[in-house]
Amino acid sequence: MLTHRLRCLPASHVLSTGTVESRKLAKVKGLFALLLMLLEWTRPGLPSPMRPICDLRVLKHFIEEARDAQAAMLTCKEGRGLPEPVTVPQTKVDFNVWERKNALEQAQEVQSGLWLLNQAISSLRASVTNTALQSHIDNSLINIFRIGKVLRSLNIQEYTPPAEGVSGSEETWRVSSASELLQVHVNFLRGKVQLLLSNAPVCYQGGS
Amino acid sequence: MQCLRPLRHSGWDESKRPHAYHGTLLLAIQIAQVELKNMGKASIVHGAQALETKVALLLHVEPENPKCFAEGMWDLTCFWEEDEKRAGSADQYSFIYTYQNENSSECAVTALPAAGGKRLYFCRFSQTQLFVPLDIRVFQDGLLIHNRSLFVELVFLLDPPANLTVTSTGKQGQLKASWLPPSLKYMSDSMMYEVSYAMAGSHIGKVEEVQASSELILRGLQSGTKYKVRIRVKLDGISYSGYWSAWTDPVLMETMPGDLDPLIVSLSLIIALVLTLLSLIVLMSHSRFLLKNIWPIIPTPESKFQGLFTVYGGDFQEWLGHSTGGLWLRPAYFYSEEFPAPLEVLSEVSLGPALPPKASEALGEKGEEEEDEDKKLKRVDSALMEGWRETPQEHWLMDQLRAFHQHPAPRSQSSLLESHDAYVTLNAQNHSGEEPLDDILEETLPLQVLFASGRASSESRSDLGSLQQSSGSGRLSSQSSFEYPNHTWPPKGPGYTYMAVADSGVSMDYSPMSSSKIDDIGKGVIYTNEYKNEIPAHRRPIGTPIHFAF
Repeated sequence: MLTHRLRCLPASHVLSTGTVESRKLAKVKGLFALLLMLLEWTRPGLPSPMRPICDLRVLKHFIEEARDAQAAMLTCKEGRGLPEPVTVPQTKVDFNVWERKNALEQAQEVQSGLWLLNQAISSLRASVTNTALQSHIDNSLINIFRIGKVLRSLNIQEYTPPAEGVSGSEETWRVSSASELLQVHVNFLRGKVQLLLSNAPVCYQGGS
Repeated sequence: MQCLRPLRHSGWDESKRPHAYHGTLLLAIQIAQVELKNMGKASIVHGAQALETKVALLLHVEPENPKCFAEGMWDLTCFWEEDEKRAGSADQYSFIYTYQNENSSECAVTALPAAGGKRLYFCRFSQTQLFVPLDIRVFQDGLLIHNRSLFVELVFLLDPPANLTVTSTGKQGQLKASWLPPSLKYMSDSMMYEVSYAMAGSHIGKVEEVQASSELILRGLQSGTKYKVRIRVKLDGISYSGYWSAWTDPVLMETMPGDLDPLIVSLSLIIALVLTLLSLIVLMSHSRFLLKNIWPIIPTPESKFQGLFTVYGGDFQEWLGHSTGGLWLRPAYFYSEEFPAPLEVLSEVSLGPALPPKASEALGEKGEEEEDEDKKLKRVDSALMEGWRETPQEHWLMDQLRAFHQHPAPRSQSSLLESHDAYVTLNAQNHSGEEPLDDILEETLPLQVLFASGRASSESRSDLGSLQQSSGSGRLSSQSSFEYPNHTWPPKGPGYTYMAVADSGVSMDYSPMSSSKIDDIGKGVIYTNEYKNEIPAHRRPIGTPIHFAF
């Protein structure tokens, strides 16, 4: 199998998204999220039910980092193509359709999409040579993992991929370029993941 | 009905109003066709007005064509502007939109006239999909004129928040602004508000941003002033984004009337206190000066006449008669430097029945100890008074003195001088008889009495003086001066020691002086005063006291 190495210019170009301030804010929020995760890991004993993470600023931080990754990928002048097309979830949200789905379906949709994105970006990481871009991609993967934790804290079921694969699902499609992949990643986070998190019933149980 | 109505732009700066377009009625009908099932009839006109402002806003803000905006989660409105010459009918245009991974769809184009001869073409479609790229292409007669790719959730242009109310919080310089957020599901956490407030009548205001809230407390306002507050809304740009909405109509509210700022009050009190203290200090330090000027003391001679007013009620004659003792004391008041000494009158020579024996008896007893001055003085006074009349005795005394002067004898050997005490000789001088002294003028005949200080042995003077009195002259004058032993007082007579007597009619001051015996005089300070007093002899009371200063 020919491995297609992505050749990218060093990411010294000015990214189109994110000001200096937003980067600092993003770093602070990343630190907060990391601290959150570390605290959870270092907790001894049986895994106790997690406190629900209802603050959407965590997700906003992930979205911003995903945007940074997408912008970094856009600076690549050459070699943006993926070795092979990858399956990615559909990001579109029609509210009429979305609202007709129940909570379980929505959760399933989000979890499967995240799993697909995880797979796709992992395969992308293997073919990226640029170190700056690699760090962005690593960040994206870690963020996907963290979102999974957040969803678990909200008592949202985890996704178990079917054995035969999900490429035939109507909620997926295939992309062949890295920039498209990362854009799907951004849009997915902004759309379905955010809708799911903002309307998690756990967050509204105690309050109005 | 008006067919043509210009666009209204609700903003502070009217000069930046974009160009208006006409044909609101037609647009209203268009909106009614599309959204009649969602909106009541009453709100159609309101919706049309809101649309006008949005269109005007976007024409100002958005550079790309077509300009699209989403008002809710279900629809998208796009429009573009064409010049009159290039504009055609609505049929000439086709609006094609394509979602990612989907087939294209077409939207019906409507045309409306705008100001300046331009035309606006609208396309509105619902059931939008978010979070997915949307391609829009506009064709005019088959030619692509506009091409744009956008995300529907990133072009939100919301209505301004409704029910903006401004109330007082109950605290100074604060107002609370509260509003109703746009009722968009899933987006309330993503809304960002900008509150603009300014003093009524001023164009310079401040803005404050607040996220995902429905109220805001404005702080730092002036008390008792009217403020106009307005608000606009925008999506925060993370998941959803868009343009700033139009400003609401300003709401006027007056802040609470200002109490006295406690800091200012306390500072002014402190300053007032400090000033008061300073003025008090100044007043106290200058109180005497001020009192003298404002409430001057009326000078009274009461201090000089002890008992005159209190005892005798101002009767001077009575006081004179009864208060000689006090008068005797007054020389001491004037001649504080000299020590009083008893007075001894020469009494060896029998001058007559009156004066010497009495005087000698009275004054013979001189002791080393101090005797009662008053008694002595009284005796001397009476003796002297008698002596005033006894001119032959005085003549004798003068002879004695002359003899003494011509044959100066040490003091200790003098038979006449038994002690170092004061000697008083009275010498009445007739106008015709006595040789006038060299320098004596008629008006300035001094009365001279010899004094000596008994106490101060170092200063003892055993001078003999002569008392001269002009009985005929109605004038008594004396010369006095503060003199030292080497003072060059003009000698009044050959070899005479004189005592200058000052008679002011009220008091007489005596000071010892000598002519040829100046060297023998102890080094004492001779204090003299000079007075001039004109009292006619006939008026002068007999009992004119002679005051001796010791």
